[in-house]
Parts: sequence; structure tokens; C-alpha cells
Amino acid sequence: MGEYLIRRTIQAIVTLFLVTVFTFALIHLAPGGPTQVMIAPGVSPEAFEVQKRNLGLDQPVHIQYLQWMGRLLQGDLGTTFKNNLPVGDILWPTVGNTLVLMIAAWLVTLIIALPWGIYNSTKVYGISDQFASIVSYLGFAMPTFWFGIILQQIFAMNLKWLPLSDMWTYGKQGDIGDLVMHLIMPVTVLSLGFLASYVKYSRASMLEVLDQDYIRTARAKGVKESRVVFRHALRNALIPIVTILGLDLPILVSGAALTESVFNWPGMGRLFVSMANAREYSVLMAIVLVTSVFVILGNLLADILYAVVDPRVQLGRKGGGSK
Amino acid sequence: MSENLDQQEITAADSQADLRKPPGPWKIAAGKFVRNPYAMVSVFVLLFFVIVSFCAPFLTPYDPAKIDLKNSNLPPFSDGHLLGTDELGRDILTRLLYSGRISLTIGFSVALASVIIGSVVGAISGYFGGWIDTVLMRFVDVMYSLPTLFLNILVLAIFGDEFIYMILILSFTSWMGVARLVRGNFLQLREMQYVEAARAIGVPNRNIIFKHLLPNSIHPIIVNATLMVGGAILSESALSYLGLGIQAPQTSWGLMLSNAQEFMLTNKWLTVYPGVCILLVVLAVNFIGDGLQQALNPRGKKHPVRRLNEWRKKFSKSAA
Repeated sequence: MGEYLIRRTIQAIVTLFLVTVFTFALIHLAPGGPTQVMIAPGVSPEAFEVQKRNLGLDQPVHIQYLQWMGRLLQGDLGTTFKNNLPVGDILWPTVGNTLVLMIAAWLVTLIIALPWGIYNSTKVYGISDQFASIVSYLGFAMPTFWFGIILQQIFAMNLKWLPLSDMWTYGKQGDIGDLVMHLIMPVTVLSLGFLASYVKYSRASMLEVLDQDYIRTARAKGVKESRVVFRHALRNALIPIVTILGLDLPILVSGAALTESVFNWPGMGRLFVSMANAREYSVLMAIVLVTSVFVILGNLLADILYAVVDPRVQLGRKGGGSK
Repeated sequence: MSENLDQQEITAADSQADLRKPPGPWKIAAGKFVRNPYAMVSVFVLLFFVIVSFCAPFLTPYDPAKIDLKNSNLPPFSDGHLLGTDELGRDILTRLLYSGRISLTIGFSVALASVIIGSVVGAISGYFGGWIDTVLMRFVDVMYSLPTLFLNILVLAIFGDEFIYMILILSFTSWMGVARLVRGNFLQLREMQYVEAARAIGVPNRNIIFKHLLPNSIHPIIVNATLMVGGAILSESALSYLGLGIQAPQTSWGLMLSNAQEFMLTNKWLTVYPGVCILLVVLAVNFIGDGLQQALNPRGKKHPVRRLNEWRKKFSKSAA
């Protein structure tokens, strides 16, 4: 176990290192190089040289990378180039808002999808199962932002039941009831796609377990069906879902970004889109890094959990979590 | 792609019709596919969209980008404009058709490009193994842990939002699935005796990979490619919706939706049409993918459940 943990952590650190190299290289691959990207157009040649020296862009590439990494490790994400604000000051408040949205969507998905999938695995090809497959086809084929716009039109514009966008009504910051009202539509939109896959996963995973010998043994002993499903089968069926939860994190983050843009949610994704339109590369790099760290940690956690709950995972084998 | 292959195989088989010869694997698959109602309907839906959007200049007299403020915001079924016009007086049906061109082109080219990248990476990784495999798979891990949408936006922001960059970056962020799939397949296949035999008679690695191994893992690749078309169309629409994809004189379904959201109060139908188009096309592509998967899987169920149940009732004594 200890060996596996260490191996997996080293793997995560290597991945993280590669992500930083990758992001750094991307800026350097841009047409005109990082000077073009980092320094505002239209400055005089003298000012350009000064700026270049201030940003350390006259150094060789590997030195620049090390300096950048050094600053990152101290928690310094750089400054915006328009008004020289520290990137951290803009970024961190939005992270919390995004987490609120993501965790809410995640909980809603699990609360609905798991019981639904389990029920469907006991009644394969029943009405509920077929309905679930319709939902999943729609969930995979529908552009999530479109679903969001349609919901806005129906529930905010026509029926006026729910607030159109944003996180709080003006002047009501901190009111939980208000927050919940604002959460309903974004969470519905964000969970739909996941609902589709998780009902499928949990159903498939349950079916696989229900097919095994020990389940037959349990039934043969005369164990009650509900006990077979919930005590004997469910525990083992949940294991693969833990990994999938980790693997789906990047999709959840991307989905949250789109949903935030539709509903004007003051989160990281909306910040990213507006900063991309303003070409604020330091903020963009910072967000890519922060989300990657988040995703890598999530995967690490999922893999460790997997190893903890499933003794069958072959510890110490290479690439334990990469499937 | 697979359709063409099927067709060729079938005609080739028919021409040397030998009654004692059993149907080949492609013919069996084609037969199964044709008998799948969802897949066949989807093929027609997709064909309809492809034909209609690529024949757009012959089907509609309007220019999709021409602004005509005198005829702005016309309701559906008004004179000369079947679906009405938008806030700038552009004919909506025309814009939908021209948008379809861009969305479909991006969908298919991204799927093709990422299948090629993914197959080559996966093939090299799985066939050679060792440190090459480790390096390539670490790279796949890195790509998987970057949130794709953010990466796409970052690249488009840096390099500019031209059509070709969009195809490149979308393919570059979606090949990993195929790579893992092909690698897994190759890891199994490279231990086969025919590979050993080929090596023994001195067939170069390149030929073993492309002539012996790749054709044997073509089924999952085809299925994956089909499903990727839908994913690419969705990604394109999302990027265009966010204002970082297709730009103004050109038009795509995502861009139309982004305009429509601004004019939600004046014309609510604007949001419905492009969304329905995306939904139908992606749904069709996914159904075709599922159909192909069932048809190409030799271990898949050969008979519909309903018929099996009927048989069970008729022929088995213990049927419940």
C-alpha cells in the first residue's frame, strides 16, 4: 500500500511538472513569442526593451522557466498586464464560486443517478431503464449551453419563477435561500450530462456484479433480494464509480465553465472566457494551472480511494490508475 | 468511411458469387447495420443535413451574411423567409444551412484527424512498448488532466481564431481516447502468432503495424471515430458560443445561439432552431456509432430481445 501511494504520488508530480512545461511552452510557441503576448502592443521600442527586461524575457528559455516556476512555488501567479493587478487577487474569489456550483451539481448527480442506476439494474429493459437510455442519448447529444438558454427562457423569462442569472440578487449577498434559487438552473444544466453517464455506469457496474457467483450463492442461501442488492452487490459495484468520478473531473470543470458563461455565474470559467477575450494571458495560464492541479489531485485521491476500498487492485503494478 | 468500405466489400463479394462461400465479416456487419432501425433512420437524417447544407447556394437565394435592416425580425412563414429573419434581417433558414456546412466540416475533419493521430500514437506505443510506451502514455495522462475547454480557449486566444486552428486544436485535444484504445488492442495483438511469423520472415515493423495489426483493430476505431464527430460538433458550438470560435461574417450553429441569447426577448424562436439542428445531427451520429458498434461486434447479441423472449416462451418449459 505504502509503495503504491508513493509511486502514484510521484506519478502525479511528474504529470504536474509536464503540465507546467506544456503551458509554458504554449505561450512561447505563440506567433511572435512571449514578448508579443505579454507586452501591450504599440509601446515605444525603448519601453519595449525595459518591459522585456522587467519581465525577464531577455533571459534564455530554461532560465525563464525556472524563474517562473520559482515564483509559482511561492504562490505568485504573476500580474495582469492591463492594470498590473496580482492575478491571485482576481482568481481566488472565483474559485470558491465555481466549487459551490460544481459540488452542488456533483451531489445532485450522485443522489439521482446512483439509485436510478441500481433500480434499473434490477429491472433491465423495463420502462425506467428505457427512459434512462432516452435521457442519456439526449444528455450526450444536447449542447449544454443550449439547454441552459432554453431553461432561462422558460423559467426566468416566461414563468418568472427563477432568477435569470448571477449568483446573488443585488443586496442579498450571503442569503442561502437566494443562493439556492440561483443555483437551480445552472445545477440542472450541469448535472444533466453527468446524470446520463452515471445512470449508465452504475447500472452496468451493478449488472456485472449481480452476475457473479457469490451473488448466486447468496440467493441460493435464501438471502432476501433487497439485502442481496444493497449489501452484497452495491458495495462492490460502487468501486469502479469512484475512479470514474475522478476521471470525469476535467469534464466537470469544462462543463462548469460553459454553464457559468450562460448564467453569468461569477466563477473561474466565466473569468477565463472574459480574460480570453481580453487576451490576459497571465490569468489564462494561472487558471489552466490551477484547474490542472485540481484535476490531478482529484485523480490521485480517486486512485488512492480505489486502492483502499478494493484489495484486488494489484498494488505496485505500473500505471495502476491510468485506465 | 465505413459505409464505403462496406459497399466495396459487398460488391466485391457479390461479383465472385460463390454459393458455398459464407458471407465475409463486413457483409455480416452491413446486414446487421441495415436491420437496425435507429441507425438507418440516423443515416438518412445525417445524409439530409449533409446534402442540404452543402447544396445551400442552390437551395436559397439569400446571402447568409447580408444585412437587410428593412426586413429585420420577421416572424416565421413570412413572405420569402420560411423561418423569418433575425435582428439584422438575415434569413434564418439560409444561415442555418450555411452554419451546417461549417459545423459538419469541423465535425468530420476533427474526427478524421484525431483518429489518425490517436491510431499512430497508440500503435507505436502498443507495438514497441518499453520507454516509448511510458513516454507517450505519460503525455496522454497530461492531456487528460488538462481541462479541454480551457486549453482550446487558451490556444485560440493565443493563435487567433481561424478555422484551421480550430480544427487543429480540437483534434489535438481529442485523440487520447483512440490512442489508449489502439494501444490496448496492440498490446494483445502483438503477442499473436501471425505477428511472430511476420517478424520471422523479416517483415519491417512499419508493415506489421499498418498491414497486420491496424486492420485488426479497425472496428473499435471506426466506432470511436463516429462518436467523435458528435463530440467535435458540440465542442465547436461551445467555442463559437463563447465568442472564440467561428467569427462574424462566417456563421455556425454555436455562433447563432450566442446571438440568439442576446435577443431572447424579441425573438425566442432564434434560440430553438440552431439548437435543434445540433441536437439532431449529434443524435444521428451517436446512433450511427452505436449501430456500428453492435454490427461490428462479433460477440454482440445476434437476435433482438423481443424475439429471444418469444422463443423462450415457445420452446423452453421453465420460462417465467
